Amino acid sequence: MSPAVQIDDLSFAHPGSDLPALERISLLVPPGESIALLGPSGAGKTTLLALLDGRLRGWQGRTSVLGASLDPDRPPLRARRPDTGFVFQEFALVERSTVLRNVLNGRLGRMSPLRALMGSPTSHDLETALAALADCGIADLAERRVDSLSGGQRQRVAIARCLAQEPRLILADEPVSSLDPARAAEILTLLTGAARARGATAMFSSHQPDLARRFAQRIVGISGGRIVFDVPTSDLSEEATANLYRDTERMPGVGLRAVS
Amino acid sequence: MRFRGFGGFAASTLVAGAILWSFMTTDVEFSRLLSAGPRIAEFLGRMFPPDPTVMREIMKGGAETLRIAILGSLGAVVLSAPLGILASETMVSPPLYRTVRTLLAFIRAIPLILVAMLMVGAVGLGPLPGIIAVAFHATGMLAKFYAEAIDGVSRAPIAALESAGAGPLARLRHAIWPQMAPVIARDTIFRFELNLRESLILGIVGAGGIGFYIQTYVRSFQYDKAASVTLAVIVMVVAIEAINVALRRRFA
Repeated sequence: MSPAVQIDDLSFAHPGSDLPALERISLLVPPGESIALLGPSGAGKTTLLALLDGRLRGWQGRTSVLGASLDPDRPPLRARRPDTGFVFQEFALVERSTVLRNVLNGRLGRMSPLRALMGSPTSHDLETALAALADCGIADLAERRVDSLSGGQRQRVAIARCLAQEPRLILADEPVSSLDPARAAEILTLLTGAARARGATAMFSSHQPDLARRFAQRIVGISGGRIVFDVPTSDLSEEATANLYRDTERMPGVGLRAVS
Repeated sequence: MRFRGFGGFAASTLVAGAILWSFMTTDVEFSRLLSAGPRIAEFLGRMFPPDPTVMREIMKGGAETLRIAILGSLGAVVLSAPLGILASETMVSPPLYRTVRTLLAFIRAIPLILVAMLMVGAVGLGPLPGIIAVAFHATGMLAKFYAEAIDGVSRAPIAALESAGAGPLARLRHAIWPQMAPVIARDTIFRFELNLRESLILGIVGAGGIGFYIQTYVRSFQYDKAASVTLAVIVMVVAIEAINVALRRRFA
């Protein structure tokens, strides 16, 4: 089986910026692993995840996802996109639509173009969406409108939409940054558990070392667009995480930058 | 504090001056105001009781007003769809949307009754100039609302659907349209209500509808008939308002 993610010497700068957002990154993620990207805000975690989702252009180096190499000049083939699921930091849900509609939106890439346009899911699409809702513990919310939900419930909808996509690689950008510690642990249990049950690879970013430790088998420390360490969770030292955060305080060219 | 004090002083002087100036230049005479009472009483007396025999005219005029409002609104929707896109910050370049927005502001600045008078001159009496006037006048507001509806669409869900492999049409249908449709529906209903209210008086300048009868009866001193038509207009306005409140609640 090909690796879930294979990155060789990847560098990227945002358009109009001289400073690299990612610098000489190399990473190999075998299928089925759950991996945390740990680092302070602006370290490049979101950029790296967006790049793996095929949303960034103009990078250097070689990157392949699920055995298919990404092209730095054009978006990935649409047929391949459902294989990589993305859980957005701000949920990115259609607020006025129902929970079920939003989760079915995750099936759009797997439907025929006509069905996708008409919004008429097959019974298999519907079953997959309902199963994802059940897995996320929100089956009873199916007919509720998203704008009536709490933050934790929205995050569950966002994860259910991602699972409905039947992805083989799940990328989650700060999936718990807006939740309290108890909710955060619940959501990460759900996310990593669902990935494991499906044999999917899960990669999530976080700036909280304790959560990364609890829910990832492997932790990659990122700071200033570079990989600072890449270790199995059991080998992660307190010192390494402390350095990760201390270094960034004097790291030049690190700033918050939105990636869309 | 000193500047604010000075500003306050300047503003109150300006307001007081404007009021005094207005009293000086118009013929506001208390004797005329005092004699108005009996005249209004007489006027109202002649309106009462309203003449119910004009029911036919009310139905005819009311139906024509409704048609003017419906066709005028339809025309405004058809014009506002492309103009709304051209006035949108997220769809076109700044020089273009700024130009279109300025044009729309000019359109909004022209009162409907003025447009209607111009249209009567251009195409003659009847409902047609009324329809054109309503369509033109309403576009100034509706196209701006549509542009705001387009710009109010959140980009994140569109990006999320693209990431899930949805094509452009599927994204339009499932991420953009659900966000826009209720806003567009609410704005269109709101503008239709205004169109209907405003077209009630279009008949006064000969642009069709129920206003024609008010004008005719007042001019020919048939105040009892004018009263019936006026009552009918009031009933229509209240009914429109009630229907609209109920509809708007649905699109909240």
